[in-house]
Amino acid sequence: MNNGNIVEITNLKKGYDKGKIKALNGIDIQIRKGEFVSIIGPSGSGKSTLLNMIGALDTADDGLITVAGNDLMLKKDLSDFRSKKIGFIFQLHNLIPNLSVLENVIIPMYGNGYKSSHMSKRAMKLLKYVKLEDKAERKPTELSGGERQRVAIARALANNPSIILADEPTGSLDSKNGKMVLERLKELHEKENVTLIMVTHDMNVAAMAERTIEVLDGQVQT
Amino acid sequence: MSFTKLIAKNPFRNKARLALAVIGIAIGIATIVALGMVTEGLKASVEEQLMTGGADFVVMKNTTSESASGSYSIKDKRIDEISKINGVKQAAGVYTSSRMVDGNQLGFAGIKSKDLNMLGARMIQGNAYADDKNELILGKLAAEKLKKKVGDTVTFNGNQYVVTGIFEVGNKELDSIGALSLEKLQSMDENEGKVDMIYVKINKGADLKTVSKSVEKAYPGELTTIASLEDFQKADDSLQMVETASMAISLLAIIIGGIGIINTMIMSVFERTREIGVFRAVGWKSRRILAMILGESVVLTLLAGMVGIVLGVVGIEVIINLFETPLDLVFTPALALRALGIAVIVGLIGGLYPAIRASRLPPTEALRYE
Ligand SMILES: Nc1ncnc2c1ncn2[C@@H]1O[C@H](COP(=O)(O)OP(=O)(O)OP(=O)(O)O)[C@@H](O)[C@H]1O
Ligand SMILES: [Mg+2]
Repeated sequence: MNNGNIVEITNLKKGYDKGKIKALNGIDIQIRKGEFVSIIGPSGSGKSTLLNMIGALDTADDGLITVAGNDLMLKKDLSDFRSKKIGFIFQLHNLIPNLSVLENVIIPMYGNGYKSSHMSKRAMKLLKYVKLEDKAERKPTELSGGERQRVAIARALANNPSIILADEPTGSLDSKNGKMVLERLKELHEKENVTLIMVTHDMNVAAMAERTIEVLDGQVQT
Repeated sequence: MSFTKLIAKNPFRNKARLALAVIGIAIGIATIVALGMVTEGLKASVEEQLMTGGADFVVMKNTTSESASGSYSIKDKRIDEISKINGVKQAAGVYTSSRMVDGNQLGFAGIKSKDLNMLGARMIQGNAYADDKNELILGKLAAEKLKKKVGDTVTFNGNQYVVTGIFEVGNKELDSIGALSLEKLQSMDENEGKVDMIYVKINKGADLKTVSKSVEKAYPGELTTIASLEDFQKADDSLQMVETASMAISLLAIIIGGIGIINTMIMSVFERTREIGVFRAVGWKSRRILAMILGESVVLTLLAGMVGIVLGVVGIEVIINLFETPLDLVFTPALALRALGIAVIVGLIGGLYPAIRASRLPPTEALRYE
């Protein structure tokens, strides 16, 4: 984490279909700790691929990528890194339908050695933060789209991550619900000094960030 | 909610599929339990018969020896000979046969009236028969089945026999037979001079092992003595055969159940691909995914095991009662443990492949899955 950068990416490359598709074609990005960055770009430009690289969900073919002091090019098991450093928020909430809202928030906490009562208490606190404590026992299907996405925020915060990666978190929401989700995220960034990296199609949403990075054909536009 | 609770909860998501998988495996487990109860019942009955009889040991034809003629019967001059062996107090020949009586199949023991004490039978009504008369006695359960009491007559083999007494041994199998003169039963089957076994009672103070050994030594390769369940199993391989069949069916149940569970769990993993991607994204190790799917598989088969035990116990009781089989079924905790053990093994074997598949799903692919 030299010079205060939590994300350091140099000439990162990722191909699909035996290199026919160059999803990432030499990306260079530095993101400071506590920064709120939005990533924009047309469909298929490589935004999700980039986010997955930062979250260590996938490995790059070439280049350098260091996140929160972890060299992600070393192909070791990175589930601990994901669990402790990263919180993911997807376009679709991806909540588990047969589990209650509370149980969905608990899911990332397994493996930390907490007692189940402690996990419930912590999950309840996070639900309070997204103003859903009264819906803790509901099933995700009984919630509105905006509420579901707020549960996803609570889930992403389960293990106190230093980086939140949000891939079009408001993409499936109307503007009113989208605003509520964004307010939560912004507040998180401002109050907790969480690094927030958000992919979006919406220029107005992107404008909320401190910095906007534009991606085109797997490269950063300058 | 703990991880274990999550594992216990997941199989109930698709109830129809759960029910189908559980029934499939439960039938296999039920068969294992039912056969086990029959085997244990047979063992207990043999043991009981050995214990309750007034005899100390039974002499039977040695059918395992090479010199065996293939016939199961013993020449009845052996009875007299054995009774003269040192330490023997009494030797009684028994001839058994099964006959239709008033439309019912009934087992009979032919034994001299004076030797009836050897059966361990207690007369609860009437008296014993005379060896030279058309008389017989019935076990308590046989009398109930035929609806006969002392003084009634029964017709079999074209002759009328008077019921002179009702006896009780306390063993379901023995209480379901009748007994009559040895000579009369032998001649009915045109098997004069032949008995199936010889009951032997030893003198007070004589050593059971020594006496039985000297009987075997007197007729090497021809006769064998039975004083315990182990002796019986050595001389008679029918119990062994039931046990072998039971093992084979267990194995079959494991294979069929295992295939069923592989199918069920693969479907379940397939449907939850995206979910598994989410688990990876929030930091679950692939080991945890493996444990979850394996655990779910075991939860399912354990449930099937419990259903199977109930199904097996109820099923075999119904069958035994329906066919009025004179057998006391025996259910032991060991049998329940074996059934549950097999269920767990099926769950682990069947769940392994789906669990490995789930744990190896690349997270990004899983998350892209629609
Ligand atoms: N698993 C994959 N296999 C093959 N091609 C892939 C895979 N994942 C992504 N791609 C391709 O890589 C390119 C970048 O995809 P990516 O999902 O990063 O785009 P994006 O910028 O997030 O687009 P959108 O705005 O539509 O979400 C696209 O051409 C896509 O088809
Ligand atoms: Mg995308």
